[in-house]
Amino acid sequence: MRWLQRHIRPEQIREFSLLLLIVAAVLIFGSMIDGYYTSRTFNRIASSVAIITVVAVGQTLVVLTRNIDLAVGSIVGCTAYFTGAQLAAHHGLPPVVAVLIAMALGCAMGAINGALVAYGRVPSIIVTLGSLAIYRGILIDYSGARTVTTDSLPKWLIDLPRLNFITIGDLDIRAMFALAVGIVVLFQIGTSFLNVARRFYAMGSNPDAAELIGMPTRQIVFSAFVLSGTLSGLAGFMFLARFGNITVEAARGMELQVVAAVVVGGVNIFGGSGTVFGAMLGAIMIAILEQSLFRLQISEFWRDAILGLLILMAVASDAVILNRLRAIWSRTELKLVTRPGTGAAP
Amino acid sequence: MTPATGQLRPIDTAAVPPVLEMRGIAKRFGATQALEDVSLTLRPGEIHALLGENGAGKSTLIKIMTGVYQPDRGEIRLAGKPVTVGSAAEGQIHGIAAIYQEPLLFPDLNVAENIFVSHQNRGAVTNWRQMFREAESILASLGVALDVRSPARGLTLAAQQSVEIAKAISLNVRVLIMDEPTASLSAHEVAQLFRLVRDLRSKGVAILFVSHRMEEVFQIADTVTVFRDGRLISTRPAAEVTPQKAIADMVGREMGLFQRRAAAKKGEKLLAVRGLARAGVFEGVSFDVHRGEVLGFAGLIGAGRTDVGLALFGIEPATSGTIELNGAAHVIRSPRQAMALGIAYVSEDRRQLGLSLPMSISANISLPVLARYLSRLGLIRTGEERATAEAFRKRLSIRTPNVDLAVGKLSGGNQQKVMLSKWLNTRPALLILDEPTRGIDVGAKAEVHAMIGELAAEGIGIILISSDLPEVLAMSDRVLVMREGRQMAILDGDSATSQTVMTAAMGQEMAA
Amino acid sequence: MTLPPILRRWEALLLLMLVVIAGLNIVYSPFYLGVGNIVNLFQLSIEKIIVALMMTLIIINGEIDLSVASVMGLSSCVTAYTFHAGWPMGWALTAGLASGAVAGAINGFWIAYVGLPSLAVTLAGLIGYRGVARILVEDRAYGGFPEWFNQLGQQPLLGPLTFSIIIFLAMFVFMAVVLHRSAAGRLVYVMGNNVQAARYSGVRVKRVKLLLFVASGVVAALAGLLYSARLGSVRGDMAVGFELDVITIVLLGGVSIFGGSGNLLGVGLSILVILNLRNGMGLADITGNTQTSVIGALLILSVLVPNMARGLHSKLQGRET
Repeated sequence: MRWLQRHIRPEQIREFSLLLLIVAAVLIFGSMIDGYYTSRTFNRIASSVAIITVVAVGQTLVVLTRNIDLAVGSIVGCTAYFTGAQLAAHHGLPPVVAVLIAMALGCAMGAINGALVAYGRVPSIIVTLGSLAIYRGILIDYSGARTVTTDSLPKWLIDLPRLNFITIGDLDIRAMFALAVGIVVLFQIGTSFLNVARRFYAMGSNPDAAELIGMPTRQIVFSAFVLSGTLSGLAGFMFLARFGNITVEAARGMELQVVAAVVVGGVNIFGGSGTVFGAMLGAIMIAILEQSLFRLQISEFWRDAILGLLILMAVASDAVILNRLRAIWSRTELKLVTRPGTGAAP
Repeated sequence: MTPATGQLRPIDTAAVPPVLEMRGIAKRFGATQALEDVSLTLRPGEIHALLGENGAGKSTLIKIMTGVYQPDRGEIRLAGKPVTVGSAAEGQIHGIAAIYQEPLLFPDLNVAENIFVSHQNRGAVTNWRQMFREAESILASLGVALDVRSPARGLTLAAQQSVEIAKAISLNVRVLIMDEPTASLSAHEVAQLFRLVRDLRSKGVAILFVSHRMEEVFQIADTVTVFRDGRLISTRPAAEVTPQKAIADMVGREMGLFQRRAAAKKGEKLLAVRGLARAGVFEGVSFDVHRGEVLGFAGLIGAGRTDVGLALFGIEPATSGTIELNGAAHVIRSPRQAMALGIAYVSEDRRQLGLSLPMSISANISLPVLARYLSRLGLIRTGEERATAEAFRKRLSIRTPNVDLAVGKLSGGNQQKVMLSKWLNTRPALLILDEPTRGIDVGAKAEVHAMIGELAAEGIGIILISSDLPEVLAMSDRVLVMREGRQMAILDGDSATSQTVMTAAMGQEMAA
Repeated sequence: MTLPPILRRWEALLLLMLVVIAGLNIVYSPFYLGVGNIVNLFQLSIEKIIVALMMTLIIINGEIDLSVASVMGLSSCVTAYTFHAGWPMGWALTAGLASGAVAGAINGFWIAYVGLPSLAVTLAGLIGYRGVARILVEDRAYGGFPEWFNQLGQQPLLGPLTFSIIIFLAMFVFMAVVLHRSAAGRLVYVMGNNVQAARYSGVRVKRVKLLLFVASGVVAALAGLLYSARLGSVRGDMAVGFELDVITIVLLGGVSIFGGSGNLLGVGLSILVILNLRNGMGLADITGNTQTSVIGALLILSVLVPNMARGLHSKLQGRET
């Protein structure tokens, strides 16, 4: 038990139980739906997970710093439409340039949010509530309410969602899903080992202390929003590739799904704790529910009710169960022991 | 209390060149001159105590040293060279670090990361293994066993302070400032902290130690400096100062004990508490309070006195034991119920728990008994509310232009009077005062003391919780002493002296 | 450089904005001052501004209720569902209001008694209550309500005023009295400033918080029913996204997102500013989406500008000493 407590933290238990919940959900749905365990089901879920996950990674960074980014849905919509319009107009545009356009646009939009929050000292919920409306309004004006259609896009883009990264047995891992997993791995490693990224945790954990020891707190908040915007831009490109038809309503309301994924994934809404990996688990859980309920044909209308319940359960279990686990951990281990002289560390 | 026998006395500090010199420092905030021409010298291997009442300028000086504030005039020299400390981070580069009363840790980061988080040059990548190893070895050198992998959340205050000290050591500090580090520690933890501090001294660190506890200062300091009204009054070797002298410097005159309150006529029994306990916090508390009596609660901070008060007031209800008021037994579960029984509790923390600072004086005073000010339609009769506030303003001489002013704009002493008014307005039979004079100036203190005397004379039973021993002795008819959650003794007027109370508070059982 | 205190107040700035906007409207549009236009101006956003009144109390109390728009949808769907299941309209409406009370009580229970953050709980409510509404009506549209119900939402009742507008005006007066003159209002402020001090003063903070969320649910439910009366039909996605407009109105009114400060006068002015701005832009042929952008920008500026002014002010002061 002591060994267990030393190497596994309550937060990891939480992520592990979410993993168990995902497995349980898959088993339950598998027993209810014929032909559930197929490559098709996997790809449906994976392609939905991919986009939400990329945005959720950025959102995690923002939430870690005690902020929230409600503008992500509008940023995804804007970048998807704008990039789509460029590709429709210039078929010769190299793929890399298209991705860069999307990310640069997202980056700029995130930077505006970040500057207002970090340097203008406006609470993030106000800034992003405002920019959610502004970005969407700009999109509608810019587009003149026209739609980017699939047949106006270059072929490579339309084929992109079905592009395989690797095939394991019957399972095709699509490139877009692999990209999302790659981003999660990258950011998980980054936030665990890079000192610059550890600042997100420090800043959210105790902003006063961060300020006092000379951390550039404004830069930290600013960069979280910039990263969130940039990743939303990338997700906008993925959104364009997946759906092809982009209306001005594209990705409206996605911010709710993303925040839901982050909260279900165990990121503390008040900052300081949670992981990018957890956010991905949250996104997976939500996507499984969404796709499976659709297949079940009881009623896809149950989806939102269950999702709401899931968020409530996640937050409640954090408050009640996680705190109890932490208490157990600190009771058995965090005793201050005085020893005469110098002894070896435990 | 045994003085630090067998400890290494420091090297003759006067012979060592100073590590930090502050020369002619002045700082002004708006209309207040916070510091005026202050010169202070810290030498390696010296524990330098800083004494002074609240507002004397100690915190301002500390903030200038650590780079939080910039001085208006004056010079800071580090090892003989003039420096500017532009920010806390720069202070750290110069080897100046501070530990505050409430440690500034990151609750979600683990112990090891907390120790190394402020290192400026720790490279781009965290090597966790190496960091854990180094953190463990630093903590081990301090004789502290802590799991370096556990998050700082949930550590005791004492453990958090050892993490802060480990942080200072890892930074190779030359000057360590400790701002009231013992304020929330138990006696045992203080002893442990002092061992660490002496350890640092023997390593040649200069330590600036701020405390309000006189006995601690004289237990540990080599040099004692006293501040008053933004000026440095005296700097002397600890051996040449007595607590009386230091206090005289602090207040500007020789101060005897407080005027002893004339004992009021003791009325019938008001409150009888038997075997009161709250699991894991305090236990075995039994006492009576009569009408017109002041029962002092003495003991070190953390002894559980406030917890007994909170139990009586129903904020953190007791888990066993009985409470009888006027002969009838009650189980008190909420503040509302306690108030209905005639109990009032004036909290020790007026900013966090006592007052709503942005709201007006009159709104604060009427809050607990708002129902009394409602018209038949359920609206607040503000005129009547204001009249009550005016009456208290006169009675307690609250200094304010009008009672519609936000409480937060008043001085500490006047805020305290508003809080007292708020609870007197509930017309209590039993008044629990928790540190009623903490952090207020001498004049306001005397006024509060006079008020306590008046209230007792009116027949109110009073429980006075205070860490100011002379105050407890002067004001109380009897003194209940607690230590680490247990009741140690109840001392009668004559048998209660600073000697007997401290003996009980430090851990010797005495016959009641 | 210093302004007289009265002009430094946020409400003064709102009033100034209102005068400028109304002035421009009068100059540029001959229709603006007509009674019809002014009634119409209120009528088009009447449900949002009713909910904003209650949201003011919630935010001053230091909380937030993101679920209001979903509760609007829920109450409408419950009423439509029960009515089409054969209940009399009166009972169906009662069921709709009751669903709002239940939804508010669920929010309030988790927030007040379990201590969960309202942002997360009402986010769950936003998604969950909408889900329940959709389970009830799926993708159908329910109409065919009694004639009196539709007329209530659409026809003038008292002079040019519709039932909804009368409700709004009555609620505005009622809320102003509650918030600024009653014990309940006092407690809302005290808790928003310092919930611990309130608890130590014997205020039953959990109960107050629960009741506030129940009230928020009921008011949102009422607004939802008024909305269905105005539209004459009910769908699962009605009032989606309204919470943003509602919160914008309240924050623009000078209510602090951190709780404890703000007043209904400010919110009333903010309502007028936003309505007139939308109306004016509408008359100037500016589309609804640009209007939304402008209001979003106004929201950010309403906090940014005072922040920057304060920063500038302290910088100037710093230079003097």
